[in-house]
Amino acid sequence: MAPDLDLLELEHRARGRGLPPAVAATVARVAGLAGLDLVRRDEVFEELVAHFEDGLAAGRAAEALLAEFGDPARTTTLVAESARIARSPDSTLPAARRFPVVPLILRELRFASRRLLKSPGFSAIAILTLALGIGAMTSMFSVINAVVLRPWPIAGVEEVYDLFERIGGGTQPLTNPDLRDFERATTDAFAAVAGVRYARAQAGEGAETAPVAVELVTGSYFGIVGLPPALGRLLGPEDDLAPGGHPVVVLGHRYWVRNFHADPGVVGRSIRLNGRPYSIIGVAAAEYQGNVRALRPDVTASMMMVNILSPSETDLLESREAHGMFGKARVRAGVTEARANGAADRAAADLRLRRVGSWESETAAFRLIPTKNTILFPDADPYLRRLSGLLLGVMGLLLLVICANLAGFLLARGIDRRREIAVQLAIGATRGRVLLALMMESLLLGSVGGVGGLAMTAVFARLLANIELPLPIPVALDAAPDLWVFGFGAVVALASGLVFGLAPALKATAPDLITALRDESAGGGGRGRSRLRNGLVIGQVAACLVLLITTGLLIRGVQSLRRVDPGFGQRPTAVVAVTFPVNRYPVEQRLTAIREVAARFGRLGGVVGVGVIDNIHLNLMNTQTASVRNPEDNGAAERVSLDADRAAVDTGFFAAAGIEFVRGRDFRADDGGTARVAIVNEALAARLWPGQDPIGRRLMQDQLVEVVGLVRTAKIRSLTEPPRPVIYTPLAGQRAAAVWYLLRTSGDADLTAGAALAALKSFDRELIPTSVTTAARHIGTTMLPVRLGAMLLSGLAAVAMILAVVGLYGTVSYAVAQRNREVGIRLALGASPSTVVRMLAVDGLKLVGWGAGIGLLLAGVVALGLRRVLAGAGFDAVIFLTVPLGLALVVGLAAWLPARRAGKVAPAMALRSGE
Amino acid sequence: MRVERELLRGAGPVTVLRLLSQREMYGYELVQALDQRTDGVLAMGQSTLYPLLYGLEAKSLIRGAWRTAASGRRRKYYAVTAKGAAYLKTRQVQWRRLVAAMGELGLLGRAR
Repeated sequence: MAPDLDLLELEHRARGRGLPPAVAATVARVAGLAGLDLVRRDEVFEELVAHFEDGLAAGRAAEALLAEFGDPARTTTLVAESARIARSPDSTLPAARRFPVVPLILRELRFASRRLLKSPGFSAIAILTLALGIGAMTSMFSVINAVVLRPWPIAGVEEVYDLFERIGGGTQPLTNPDLRDFERATTDAFAAVAGVRYARAQAGEGAETAPVAVELVTGSYFGIVGLPPALGRLLGPEDDLAPGGHPVVVLGHRYWVRNFHADPGVVGRSIRLNGRPYSIIGVAAAEYQGNVRALRPDVTASMMMVNILSPSETDLLESREAHGMFGKARVRAGVTEARANGAADRAAADLRLRRVGSWESETAAFRLIPTKNTILFPDADPYLRRLSGLLLGVMGLLLLVICANLAGFLLARGIDRRREIAVQLAIGATRGRVLLALMMESLLLGSVGGVGGLAMTAVFARLLANIELPLPIPVALDAAPDLWVFGFGAVVALASGLVFGLAPALKATAPDLITALRDESAGGGGRGRSRLRNGLVIGQVAACLVLLITTGLLIRGVQSLRRVDPGFGQRPTAVVAVTFPVNRYPVEQRLTAIREVAARFGRLGGVVGVGVIDNIHLNLMNTQTASVRNPEDNGAAERVSLDADRAAVDTGFFAAAGIEFVRGRDFRADDGGTARVAIVNEALAARLWPGQDPIGRRLMQDQLVEVVGLVRTAKIRSLTEPPRPVIYTPLAGQRAAAVWYLLRTSGDADLTAGAALAALKSFDRELIPTSVTTAARHIGTTMLPVRLGAMLLSGLAAVAMILAVVGLYGTVSYAVAQRNREVGIRLALGASPSTVVRMLAVDGLKLVGWGAGIGLLLAGVVALGLRRVLAGAGFDAVIFLTVPLGLALVVGLAAWLPARRAGKVAPAMALRSGE
Repeated sequence: MRVERELLRGAGPVTVLRLLSQREMYGYELVQALDQRTDGVLAMGQSTLYPLLYGLEAKSLIRGAWRTAASGRRRKYYAVTAKGAAYLKTRQVQWRRLVAAMGELGLLGRAR
């Protein structure tokens, strides 16, 4: 302990200067016990040493000098008094000398590190587990910081709004005509309105192609963002005039660095996208991350090029159904949010009057959200916030378990050091000083653990930045720790140091000295002490339970997702996406070419069926919707109109995809000409014609369409969605230029995919597949975030489990071992060892019971919250039963083993040893 | 002969200030000086002297400075500050008055 070590150190130093032991002891006592700060103490020490040196040099005897010196205790008091005068506000001494906080803390740190080095095992475990806990928490925070918290790099962001459409209950992106109408109708309130779409294109030529993420923007977009380019110029209104007429791109900063080696002469050169040259007009600023967080574009092109870069049967510039445009708008100076919303409402009312596209619905409206409040997407944002909170909470619990473990260790050590501390307090060290010294240890551990944790976070961020996620959209998450992350890590580290250090330190320095000394000899533990110890066990059991149950529930939720039947692609199937360039395959030749490729694929060995679809299911991009209704309901007060997902498929698709027909027939090769036919899924039929046979019925989708087939409902957008209505239309007669081939095979799907690639080349060397995969992998991709999350959680759960078990074992076995003396007495009084063992084990289990009760209650609350985040997670009897039982087993063992040892101890030994 | 602590309490600071106002001294030197120049009357235990010095220093009446003596030994030398000199002056006046008053009462004459 500090003062004790102080005294010893001072005495040692004095003797090193040649002072006789008695003199050295006096000097040390006066200098060391007066409660002086470091600087002052050393000064007094030096002066006293000089004094006695002078005396000895003058030939005086040590005894005489000491006699002349007088009563050291009185000197100590007087010196302390003079120090108080020096510290008083009246003192004219400079403040730094009155309150030398820094040297004091430095000295305490020095002592603390010395003490920690004396028990390297404990220190190493403490630092390691803390680094793990803090690292996990800070890493999670760095991701949340990057996705949720980091401010947008937009100048004057408080004037900028994200613009969506609200249809039915959901929010969705806009269409290009809607955006332009909005722009025209709101010029009084908005200075600029812009739209952004995403596409994936192949960059390069021949075999040397690579997929790039393309952001397509309207003319005023970069003006709203307000970031100057790193090189050249950005896209402006002059690039937003003629459809198909602006083959220019701005490179993303990272893409420029990676693919052009940051060549400053890149402006004016050209880049081929889907086989066509685009001239590079500039490079975006490094801070520019794209319009949607975590979707960092490689290149940005003009919206006017959307139909060429993202070919489909719909004209994305004209269609009022191709909802895929993210709107951004900047208000005029001084326009309030209320006024902006008023302008948006007027624009919506206008569109509803015209009944165009989704504006047929009477509830359709524009939705403005201040950009500073948006994360990814309005409907996903609350979910993201909840998830962030939940994940941080789980990490916090993990850290809490770690802290509880360390607190248990420290408490045990504090009890070992009780006598030492009591002596220090008795010879005049203030409680504050001793407390400070003890806290310094835990704060030091917390800080070193924090440094380790931050290092972990930096490594994690680097991994995250370089990981290439196999997603259809390029996700680039820049979670590099910034000042916020460092600040967060520092606060967490210090807070955990406080949390696990304070209670043991307070306990160890409790002012009831007499009790302390008596406790020491009794060896059984005072009531207060055992209350703290018991509280610690209960708290630890509760925290462990919550942590384990939460992770268990999350993992079970993810597993249940894996068991979800996507409704298609369950047999070995190769999936090849091909874009037929519109300049080389004009609309009248395209269908023939698509079918010719399908025929070639069908002739490959092992292939038992080939399907073509323009918009494959579980594809996170290009969701196409159609508003459909039952024309016979025309007169009804409530018009049954619903938003259905839409896909165009060719004959044989359902067989290849493994989507079963319930009734009716597949499309024929000549469907899609003049006779308008459609196939619907069960979800759509159930909504439009509940309980009736849909075959032969007509539905309204732009024009009347006859339903010829009914198929089972497959998963369209995500595995967790409720059944979504889908309308399938014939591919024939439509203008689809990008299609997905599904090649169902009796052999290996990967081999088939390879063979398909070769077949495609032999058909047209210039055709570029935008994606070659298997159905299993395609479906797996949509589960990737969830799977990654589950992997992370499993790892954390394992760590938490180990920590919890080790910590609980330690705490409980220590608690039992503390009662050795009591055991001795009971044995001496004639109790049988088995009775004693049972008593101790039962006492231990009682604590577990309390902890489990509290933990289960809390876990129930967490489970309630969890159900709102992850469908499939929630109350799970298996988890709620097995986790507490498993924990009880561990704790029971932890209580029983030392209890058994205690039972075997000879009574006399236990009594004598006292501890 | 030692003087009682109670009496010394008031005299101590003035004595030390007076000695230091003549020349700066370090601790042991001051002890010697007090002993020799007052015939041991004002010799005080160092248990009193050092705290006294620290008290004076805290009130900025004296100033201590570490210096290495010719012998190579580092010592803290104390000197009177301007504030200390002023303080000494007022105290000297008070002491003179006190002694004079005591003389008037005949307290001083007979003892000699």
